[in-house]
Amino acid sequence: MNSFFALSPLLIIVFASLLVLLLDVFLKKENKNYLAYISLIFLVICGFICIKFWDKNYSYFNGNLILDNLSLFFIFILALATGFVILLSMKYISFQDVNYGEFYALLLLALSGVAIMLSSSDLLIIFLGLEVLSICSYALAGLKRTDEKSSEAAIKYFLLGSFATAFLVYGLALLYGSSHSTNISSIINFFVTESDLSIMALIGLGLVIIGFGFKIAVVPFHMWTPDVYQGAPTPITAFFSVVPKAVGFIVFLRIFTPYWKNALNTQAIFWILWVICVLTMVVGNLVALRQTNLKRILAYSSIAHAGYLLIAILARDNSSLVFYLTVYLFMNIGAFAAVIALSRKGKEYLELEDYAGIGFKYPWIGVTFSIFLLSLAGFPPTGGFLAKFYVFSTAVRQDLLPLVIIGVLASLISVFYYLRIIVYMYMKEPAREIEIAIENPALFLVLFFCLYGVLQLGLYPRNILVLINQAISSFF
Amino acid sequence: MIPTNYFLILSVVLFVLGAIAFFVKRDLVTQFMSIEIMLNAANLAFITLARSANSADGQIIVFFIITVAAAEAAIGLAIILLIFRQKKTIKSEDIKLMKG
Repeated sequence: MNSFFALSPLLIIVFASLLVLLLDVFLKKENKNYLAYISLIFLVICGFICIKFWDKNYSYFNGNLILDNLSLFFIFILALATGFVILLSMKYISFQDVNYGEFYALLLLALSGVAIMLSSSDLLIIFLGLEVLSICSYALAGLKRTDEKSSEAAIKYFLLGSFATAFLVYGLALLYGSSHSTNISSIINFFVTESDLSIMALIGLGLVIIGFGFKIAVVPFHMWTPDVYQGAPTPITAFFSVVPKAVGFIVFLRIFTPYWKNALNTQAIFWILWVICVLTMVVGNLVALRQTNLKRILAYSSIAHAGYLLIAILARDNSSLVFYLTVYLFMNIGAFAAVIALSRKGKEYLELEDYAGIGFKYPWIGVTFSIFLLSLAGFPPTGGFLAKFYVFSTAVRQDLLPLVIIGVLASLISVFYYLRIIVYMYMKEPAREIEIAIENPALFLVLFFCLYGVLQLGLYPRNILVLINQAISSFF
Repeated sequence: MIPTNYFLILSVVLFVLGAIAFFVKRDLVTQFMSIEIMLNAANLAFITLARSANSADGQIIVFFIITVAAAEAAIGLAIILLIFRQKKTIKSEDIKLMKG
């Protein structure tokens, strides 16, 4: 159905960010929290619209912007993630002295880029949305302007991110040259009908995969991840670890679902992804073992999770990919929320030794953080277990047994570094006194929501699975 | 008329040169310039391929890419300026606070 309504989630987010940017001029520094409330209100409206538009399949610009259930589901989920990040930042940004209005405005603009990427099936539009997301992300990473680590994160993210962009654009040019279109379905059609594929088309697809591989941080395109995650303000790190990854995988899903189904010769691309997947799981988990900075551990853990998600892509299993991404959002943002909880004015506690004895001193943070870590490691009855279980079981059914064995071994390795944090929290004597600002209701709200999400998805996932199946089936 | 293949080869050469320069050069601004060269190589490829396919799409896409490159230049130069203010240098080997 062609309708102007298809633009409304996007317009609301952009309007909110411009409004925040405008109001920022008039607000005093101590009143900046109002900007967060305004952003949250608009995110709620956006989420409400996503629910209203469910099953309506609005489209605009001759079908170049489609609000199918898949994109609505993810706009909702990622708006939720952005809402969590905003709640996490309310205290944090005044503690770390980054409370500018730009913070929320850039976050919302980044989300608008995400909405563009999710609701388009044209690679050029997806690229433009990706650039909106990336350019906002570069600025967000460097927002702690007095902190040298933050600027270093920004420059590393910027240089490697735009390097990847160049690959993506060149790949797009080659795909355009061979199929005379930038629309995903016509490109895939070209791959299907052409029996004798030119080398140009294959290189083009490869370059596009490299370009997105940078964004979702798979090995060997992961070099920027730990540094950027460590240097960026922590709520922004939570944003980076969830949102660009989720969108990148949705784009992969949109490209590869028709590709696996129809293309005559999928072997080359399949094996490239296979190797990337194995490398991502093994390297991500092994390097995480020798990290002592919490943000770096979580960075490598997010790389490893990209590996498990790639198994779902290779197993052609869309619903468990979507389920995994949903669970991953709750457990990862929850883990970062616990890390953010351990901070006070002008100080963050990020080293592993700081966590010694936290479990008894701040029982709530200790318990929730442990549950998130157990979920990331894949212990039942959390959502992380079910997500891994679904991915691995369909992979076995698709004859990807070697991949599953490597995946299970890699997640066994990962148990070590997740449990090490818990061991530090409960079984080590505190080496130094740490003091945190405990009154932070917004942060505890996020911790509670994430805890609820992880347990709900682990114990009773039926409702969400029904939704996910509707989302997936609409897209075929 | 010059065959379109020549332009394609030129764009590949430009792209590869840009990629090499990105790794060889040790200066943030030069590294950023090499990325711009890679983007422009893609632009050249787009125009060439649009020409050989007799369609205008590719030429219009170039405008989008130029805009994106301009936005990237704005934010990138701002970040490089920030680095220079803090460290008084823009050599990439001096940016090594975080490792591992």
